[in-house]
Amino acid sequence: MLKRGTLLLLWGLTLLWSLHSGRLDLLLRGVFHGLVGVTGLVLLMLGVALLLKREKQDERWRWPWLLSGVMAALVLILPPNPSFSDLASNRPQGLPDPPELAFVLPPEQRSLTEWVRLLRSQPDPDLVAGNPVRISGFVWRQPQGPPLIARLTVRCCLADATPAGLAVEWPESFSPQTNQWLAIEGTMGVQTRKERRIPVVIPKNITPIARPERPLEP
Amino acid sequence: MDKLATAWAIFQGLLLEAVPFLLLGVAIAGLARWAVPPGAWIERLPKNPVLAPIIGALMGFALPACECGNVPVARRLLASGAPMGTAFGFLFAAPVLNPIVLASTWAAFPDQPWLLVARPWGAFLLAILLSLLLVQLPETQLLATALLEERRMSQPLSNLGLLQRSSGVIGGSPSPPRSISGKRLKAFQVLDQSCREFLDLLALLVLGCVIAALVQTWLPRSWLLAVGGAPTASILALMLLAVVVSVCSSVDAFLALGFAAQITPGALLAFLLLGPIVDLKLAGLFTVLMRPRAILITAIGASLGVLLIGQWINLWLL
Repeated sequence: MLKRGTLLLLWGLTLLWSLHSGRLDLLLRGVFHGLVGVTGLVLLMLGVALLLKREKQDERWRWPWLLSGVMAALVLILPPNPSFSDLASNRPQGLPDPPELAFVLPPEQRSLTEWVRLLRSQPDPDLVAGNPVRISGFVWRQPQGPPLIARLTVRCCLADATPAGLAVEWPESFSPQTNQWLAIEGTMGVQTRKERRIPVVIPKNITPIARPERPLEP
Repeated sequence: MDKLATAWAIFQGLLLEAVPFLLLGVAIAGLARWAVPPGAWIERLPKNPVLAPIIGALMGFALPACECGNVPVARRLLASGAPMGTAFGFLFAAPVLNPIVLASTWAAFPDQPWLLVARPWGAFLLAILLSLLLVQLPETQLLATALLEERRMSQPLSNLGLLQRSSGVIGGSPSPPRSISGKRLKAFQVLDQSCREFLDLLALLVLGCVIAALVQTWLPRSWLLAVGGAPTASILALMLLAVVVSVCSSVDAFLALGFAAQITPGALLAFLLLGPIVDLKLAGLFTVLMRPRAILITAIGASLGVLLIGQWINLWLL
């Protein structure tokens, strides 16, 4: 029981550490965080119970347990650090339904995701031209054309992350780096690209920022 | 290097989201073993090949968990000697026929009433068909060796010879204590066995999540969705997507919402039906239940069934 107790303890610690360190903010939607915490606590208690009840004759290591122990240790040691641009490039753009009241917010309080939702439901860009914009997101490289400023939304976990991106008229003096997080203040403008009129953020101020603690949006 | 870091993050996301459901499934299986000793109620389960999977499928309403949580419960049913049709009916239908999944499907698609009817009925139908298909195989070719040995210890000697009980008689590692005579096990014994079962399944879940994360990172999802409106191709593409993405059935409807507008209705239903039965994350977990041949039959049978249902929906709605 010593080995099983140790493994359960390790997994319990891994889950609790993922919650405590804020890693879950990068991996799972908020509604699942409590579930992971409770599971970590239960595993921790089970591990302690088995260790206290240890028998004289212990069983041998089995390969599945060894594998699981190594993976738990790796999860504990190696924090997740995904390339947001790679994730976004791999996924189709399709956003979940908007949270309530998203559209009634004044323009300068809209997040990037809320801007994208608004522009999809109301595709005429002239209706929002001149509106003030204050957003933050990561630089999403495009196979053709200039990079977008983007955010990822999740319904469950990183596996189902879906990108929402906005075109930006990047100033010549600024060279956006892929995956770099930026805060942009400016106005919404309209440009014709590939024979289509599209909304474009015209920045007045671009500030590099650290990745937010909660980079994923619902 | 960026791609590897992304795969590592997807792996962690998939795993940390699935572990609570796996623990829930093992806990329910353990609780059932402790509170309801096998024998009495297992013997009352119908053995009729059609009725058995129907009862199993309906038992899904008692376990509000995704597909990972159902594996330990189905394993416990089989090990306790339940009719195979009941256990497989439960295994394949319960990930959809449970209150949480039905509620999430309704929440994601409130304006598509046909889907709210088609998803549970489709899952029910597939579970019965797959169970009927699998029980055609003899137990020795269907069930994983360890499970078969455990199951035989639970079956009366009037049903099989003494030599068929190959485990727990002579040699081999000592089997965990079992309640053969319907006697209740001690709580700590059940806890001990459940911990062992959880760790065994966890290792297989880890393997499944590794495969799913690697495939997701290197296979652009936009390729699969590019076929969009082509009836048959869209169904096949979304079936492949369901296998690759490996998200829980409790949230897959919200994921499908993201691309529902780009695909045919049959493809949408195919995504919601196949994922809870066959996905990369489940591949390892199924090995504690079935032999590779039976897993292959399940994957092929489920795929064909889903393809037919999807085609029929497209003929009806397009």
